[in-house]
Amino acid sequence: VNDAVGAADRLIAAVTAGIDAALADAPAPVADVYVGWVAAAEAADCPARYRAAGEGGWGFPGWSAPTAAAAVGRAALDHHLHARDRGPAPSPADLPAPLEVVRDWIRAATVAGSPGVGGWMGDLRADGDAATLAATAGLATRWLAGFVRVLGWPLPAGLALLGVTRDDGASGAPRWWPAKGSPVTVACGADARLGRVTGAGGFVLVAHRVVSGDDGALRDRAAFEAAAGALAIGVAPGSVLITAGDTGDRVTVPVDDRLLSLGAERIVAVVAERVAAVERGFDPGDATPSAACRHCDHLADCPPGDAWMRGAGRWQGGLPVIPVIPVMLPNRASRFGA
Amino acid sequence: MRRVATRPARNLTDLLADVGLGPGNGDGSTTAASALDDLAALLDHRARRAAAIGGWTADEPLRLAKGTVGWLLRCPRRALAAPEGGMTDDLIAGIVIDAAAKLATLVPQRTPTVEAALAYLEATGDATVADHLADRGGPGALPSDVAARIDQLAGAWPAIDPGWWPRVEEPVRAVLAGGAVVVSGRLDVLLGGPPSPRPAVVVEVKAGRWHDGARADAHLYALLVAMRDDRPPAAVVTVVADGTTQVEPIRPAVLTAAADRVVHAMDVAADIAAGQPAPAHPGPHCGHCPLRPACPEGRAWHPDATDDALGSP
Repeated sequence: VNDAVGAADRLIAAVTAGIDAALADAPAPVADVYVGWVAAAEAADCPARYRAAGEGGWGFPGWSAPTAAAAVGRAALDHHLHARDRGPAPSPADLPAPLEVVRDWIRAATVAGSPGVGGWMGDLRADGDAATLAATAGLATRWLAGFVRVLGWPLPAGLALLGVTRDDGASGAPRWWPAKGSPVTVACGADARLGRVTGAGGFVLVAHRVVSGDDGALRDRAAFEAAAGALAIGVAPGSVLITAGDTGDRVTVPVDDRLLSLGAERIVAVVAERVAAVERGFDPGDATPSAACRHCDHLADCPPGDAWMRGAGRWQGGLPVIPVIPVMLPNRASRFGA
Repeated sequence: MRRVATRPARNLTDLLADVGLGPGNGDGSTTAASALDDLAALLDHRARRAAAIGGWTADEPLRLAKGTVGWLLRCPRRALAAPEGGMTDDLIAGIVIDAAAKLATLVPQRTPTVEAALAYLEATGDATVADHLADRGGPGALPSDVAARIDQLAGAWPAIDPGWWPRVEEPVRAVLAGGAVVVSGRLDVLLGGPPSPRPAVVVEVKAGRWHDGARADAHLYALLVAMRDDRPPAAVVTVVADGTTQVEPIRPAVLTAAADRVVHAMDVAADIAAGQPAPAHPGPHCGHCPLRPACPEGRAWHPDATDDALGSP
């Protein structure tokens, strides 16, 4: 992108117009439309299933060990780096021990009743919910270890973690609203930013995934985060760095107008599907069958999904599947009794 | 000065004491890296060949995990069983004991219990055990010896120094042939590895009895970690709840053998995907096979005393 500010301005205008047009078609007011990467991916994967998710599936599902892992990992790493900032610059000797860093953060920075993931963890401590604390610490440790392993230590110069809020309010999550009072919130899910934000752009948004997906999802993710980041920051990033803990891969996706347009389409599509859901919930006519049909609650009411399961869906993981005839499986009392 | 181990490590505690002595451990040498590059190139080459036969693409890849690899080599027909084959008491016990080992890693100051392991599983979002037990009247339906096996495991589990970077459920994945073949795994416990100064140690927990197939699973994980980290782990440790611990240092030959198994599995899978019937190789595993009612070879197979003694848990 040559003109990073101009590109963001054009993107803001286009997304605002798209969202306004979608909301104008709503037969009744639509409230609380949260547009994050998960919603964008689900709305694109199968609009019928996304619309059928209802209020319980559209919004933030609430904190749990799986949903809090990245937030806790970022907060804990930020806490560690912030402590280091008060002293000499981080050195190889300051390599964080991930589980200890997470524990330190839990002990030092979680307060019951406070907002965000810190408040939720504080509530767990107050309630003595050791199981959820342990599960969250485990998943956050995995996130933190993968992030540091893939990016290297010391972390790259100019790296700023995103989506963390310190006591001194130094940083927060990048969000964008099309207008004051709009029901739509667009949330950039990037975990970090590399480089300073200037009018020249050029900074990099970093999105870390514990588990990688396919290449199509990678480009979609980069497009969404580039667009959401440009909306929230007001300047288009130069590139998006997608990292994967399971493969150790680092893929840099340069940001251009086409990528921003793809991201804008994904954002507007979420709002359009939410508007459509006011009148139409699950409509199999809009179903896009895929491997997700195997776990879809609406499969029984979805002819396209059923047809896919009888065709391509009979293969799983690249191999044909032999159906299992339901029988009582043997247990240790009758080991060969089937 | 680097301490030299005077005898092979026999358990996880010994191993961590022996290999966790500094950055000189773990073979990150140029020779090892070159050997890994060769293995990765071999796997990629054979994956491309298999994908050409099997018709897999990056959009519709062959997905291999330890179970698929194992069954493709042991009984290809069993590898095709639909996953909704049901849970057995042994599988449920295995999940609970795995969870207890993870708790012992994450919260070393507290001895894991059955109740804590069940709560941990629920907190991670894994409803498999809860659903299974709910259908059978609650936690009392767990096999009666699970608590004792957890106690035994906890007794053998060392307090792991934070410098080992202990983490649980770490996913590892190798993407071959441009994404047409994906080999993946999820490690029970992983210690060390880059960027920590200590070598990687893969820890697998087995709830049942020791069986030789567990070694092959551990070797596959060592291969995946080596390919991801560009250096082999120092060892894989299989901790079995019956008190057995298998410590296996990772030599180049181990990784080569693991890669050979993946190549063989890809070849078998390619033939099946191309339309060849999946052969059945009857054996002790038939007793647990969900396809047995529809498998003539499986139905015809009957255990004798020797087979039963060798049967996998």
